[in-house]
Amino acid sequence: MKNRLKLLREARGWSQGVLADRLDVSRQTVNALETGRYDPSLPLAFRIARLFEEPIEAIFDPGQDEAAAVGARGADAR
Amino acid sequence: MTSNLDTTSRSAGDRARARAYYRDFFPAIAGYTVVLLAVIAWGGLDGTASSRFVWALLPLLPALLVVRAVVRHLRRIDDYQQTLLLRGLATGFAVAMASAITLGLLETGGLQVDGAGWLVYGAGMAGWGAAALGGCR
Repeated sequence: MKNRLKLLREARGWSQGVLADRLDVSRQTVNALETGRYDPSLPLAFRIARLFEEPIEAIFDPGQDEAAAVGARGADAR
Repeated sequence: MTSNLDTTSRSAGDRARARAYYRDFFPAIAGYTVVLLAVIAWGGLDGTASSRFVWALLPLLPALLVVRAVVRHLRRIDDYQQTLLLRGLATGFAVAMASAITLGLLETGGLQVDGAGWLVYGAGMAGWGAAALGGCR
């Protein structure tokens, strides 16, 4: 899932380690989030949204994932 | 361009979790090594007394402390790291099972494999290690 985490972090002058400590996760996890290798759990997504004072959907963009899921749901309904 | 914001050094939380893990793990592995060496040296494993089996199993006690260290570490780390660790363990388990089946079939075919248990253990650990390295990329 695409996200603006790196932009938001750098705008505040934080390293990945600083953000990791603020979110109570590892730096490895922050790196995986920023590079799109890991989609956060719902509680973590809320923590990120609260930290940056932005709604979740302003930080994370499901993009094609959501389109594919909607398409799959539509196919199931038919 | 690389800035100091791109540093790959561990966070304070990472270091604290690592320290807690090392506090559990290193005494356990040191205990395992000491007990194993003591059993090999003084356990009379090449004798005929049935008590030698008790001695042979003695290193399992500190080995359980190693397992405890890993379980406690698993509880401390976050969801993503738990996924990586459990994926590694699952890979190690699959490799160990495949090795056990392979060695079992070879033995069925008449091939005597010395130290088959250690081969299975080594294969499982290698599978875990390889999966862990792959997950760190």
